[in-house]
Amino acid sequence: MSTPRSQRSRAGTVAANTVGVLFVIVMAFPVYWVLNTAFKPASEVLSFTPSFFPQHPTLDNFKSAIKAPFFLVDLRNGLIITTTAVAGAIVVGFLAALAIARFRFYGRRALIMVILGVQLVPLLALLIPLYLMLNRANLTNSLVGVSITYLVLILPYTVWTLRGFIAAVPRELDEAALVDGCGRWQTFYRIILPLTGPGLVATSIYGFIQAWNEFIIINTLNNPETQNLMAWLLQNQTNRGTAWGPLMAGALITSLPVVVFFLIIQRNIATGLTAGAVKG
Amino acid sequence: MHAVDSPATAPPAPIAPSTPDKPTARVRRRRRPQWTPLFLALPTLVLLAGLLAYPLGRMLVLSFQDMQLRHLFSGATPPWVGFDNFTQVLTDGVFWGVVRRTAIFTVVSVAISIVLGLGVALLMQRVSNGVRVAMVIAMMFVWAIPQLVSAQIFKWMVDADFGVLNYAIDQIPGVDFTNHSWFADPTQGWIVITTLVVWAGIPFLAITLHAGLTQVPQDLREAALVDGASPWQTLRTIILPILRPLIVIVTTLSVIWNFGLFTQVWVVRDSKPEQEYQTLATYAFTQAFGRNEYSLGSAISVITVILMLGVMAFYVRQMFQIGDVD
Repeated sequence: MSTPRSQRSRAGTVAANTVGVLFVIVMAFPVYWVLNTAFKPASEVLSFTPSFFPQHPTLDNFKSAIKAPFFLVDLRNGLIITTTAVAGAIVVGFLAALAIARFRFYGRRALIMVILGVQLVPLLALLIPLYLMLNRANLTNSLVGVSITYLVLILPYTVWTLRGFIAAVPRELDEAALVDGCGRWQTFYRIILPLTGPGLVATSIYGFIQAWNEFIIINTLNNPETQNLMAWLLQNQTNRGTAWGPLMAGALITSLPVVVFFLIIQRNIATGLTAGAVKG
Repeated sequence: MHAVDSPATAPPAPIAPSTPDKPTARVRRRRRPQWTPLFLALPTLVLLAGLLAYPLGRMLVLSFQDMQLRHLFSGATPPWVGFDNFTQVLTDGVFWGVVRRTAIFTVVSVAISIVLGLGVALLMQRVSNGVRVAMVIAMMFVWAIPQLVSAQIFKWMVDADFGVLNYAIDQIPGVDFTNHSWFADPTQGWIVITTLVVWAGIPFLAITLHAGLTQVPQDLREAALVDGASPWQTLRTIILPILRPLIVIVTTLSVIWNFGLFTQVWVVRDSKPEQEYQTLATYAFTQAFGRNEYSLGSAISVITVILMLGVMAFYVRQMFQIGDVD
């Protein structure tokens, strides 16, 4: 009696594996296609019979992407803007996360609602007034305006995720430290901060990804000299039309830090968005 | 855990009479000056107020004014026009076409994404370990790719002249897809956009739902198997009810994200979407920044937010109900 079932399930596993492999191919194909395109010489990119491997692999596309106008400037801008935004959001957000995780106070629930809610406000809805505000304050075409904007953009997620990490530190540790004569500041500095270290790293990386990937705001507020690489990619697509080789090479360079960072922290991302929905 | 440390009943009043029956820890905590947390949250509140709340309010105001380019330069207050912008938008057939398109896209793309995401999650449980690892790795890469970049990749793959898709379809005997433009016919264009959005969305859904599936107790499934339940019955009566809260959350998030569709359309249509490709987000943007109709764009954004408010409130409520919040 057990034989037919195990046979059936073995056949089932083979079928499932086949579907699984097909799924991997379909999902991975676009990724593979960027790599393939980026390493092809222009003659192979613009060919009516695309080859599935570069016949004459070359780094020309990367060279011409890097040499293209504003690439290096926008790379530098992107790094400055993201670093500022993430550093600011982490400092400011950690304080608020501490308040939510460790204190019960009047308005706490409202604060949580605001933090969860604003993450859902469509960015585009804010763009018009934001543009008018920053334009009035002479902060368009500057790195300062977008840095602050990105800081606020990643702040709600930062607060929310850090709250989870702080709440995971047992309260008994705080209390033990207090009993042992640590002050409030020492408790924070010696107990909570070290124990939430990994959380701070993960949250910073996620903030970095968010800020690095943004292009709508910066493309609207700033000129090419003060934009980031994402906006550079968008402009290069529209300006050059069909220069797909350099564009794909540029896209690879632009995505690389994000992909690497993402792979490091992937475990934390989904949990932040659906916190608690999976009950253990 | 939160049952112990959340005095959920009432936030401590400033002059709380000390109740002796509470545990000592509670009393000590209660004696903490209540301005500490507010002080900690203050910078966040200021920033959110300044760069989120104020712009939102400003947008609302703007939608009742008639802001033109000259007001932008002179800084003069634009004239008040009452509900004119809203009347203009709401009586415009084009606008309703955009709403309808956005709604249809949202329903179709979310439905496909959720079904496929759940299917992939179930598949992940059924395949051998090696295949599962390959699936996770492939999905991680897809998930990590920035939206703008994945949209550009798709645009390149469906390129009329040199795209790999036309080439592949061309290989089918008797089919001629040489120089076939995928965006000339909006239906085909939307199929491409939907494929892109679903492809990019599956990793989050499948991996989250798979994590949820691992929480379904194995003995429940075995019991169902012993009782002679078919796989379909097991799925319907055991797995889905347990996964329900998670499915509700990821569906809500998908609806919010897909309803705000902007990047993919913007990129595949070279930053100038035609009428047939406008969504609420691109439409508001085009009105404001393409035609300098800032007030009209604001009115459209206000309507978009109002349309989404129910879903957003549902998400926040759901997060509270799940209980992790307190």
